[in-house]
Amino acid sequence: MIKKRRKFNKKQKNSRYSSLSLFQKPDTNFFKPCPLSGKNAPILNYKNIKLLKRYISESGRILPSRITSVSLKKQKELSRSIKRARLLALL
Amino acid sequence: MNCYEHTFIAKQDLPSSQTKTLVNKYEDIIKKNSGKVLKTEEWGLRNLSHIIKNNKKGFYFHIKFEGIGTTIKELEKAGNIDEMLIRYLTVKVKKHNLEENFFEKKDYLENR
Repeated sequence: MIKKRRKFNKKQKNSRYSSLSLFQKPDTNFFKPCPLSGKNAPILNYKNIKLLKRYISESGRILPSRITSVSLKKQKELSRSIKRARLLALL
Repeated sequence: MNCYEHTFIAKQDLPSSQTKTLVNKYEDIIKKNSGKVLKTEEWGLRNLSHIIKNNKKGFYFHIKFEGIGTTIKELEKAGNIDEMLIRYLTVKVKKHNLEENFFEKKDYLENR
């Protein structure tokens, strides 16, 4: 019985999250700026296939903005231009 | 006057001599209906990403022009009837970008 308890205690100490409290703020910043807005932003267009291919999945679906961190305004433009490119069989 | 872009896909079995007549036909429609052609682009023969009406490849043509509502109406009327076309798309734009061509063919042979 004693041996078993020791093993259990050891495991808890070794785990990475044992020292992290629930209410502690994480060290890394999760915020990413929008890649399509701001200065030097690429041209968003139904003809710019190279750019649009970055924002669709392997099966051809549009990626959600929470993954790509595209702003709401640009995401609307992006989805519109992807749908136009699909109509012309470019994507 | 508004700015528009008209793209259409012609069938693969279109003879090369007939490509110019096809483009001229649509340019004439624009000119007749109070429009003004600014630039025409040929994107050449491209693979379609999915099969449309049993076609795997198609010739792409792109016309940038200024016009009014009736210009578009006549263009799309002609596009619906035409048997040589697979599909077309007309888009209204705020400002024309006449310099950049996303489908420009680079001549690798010349640079060798």
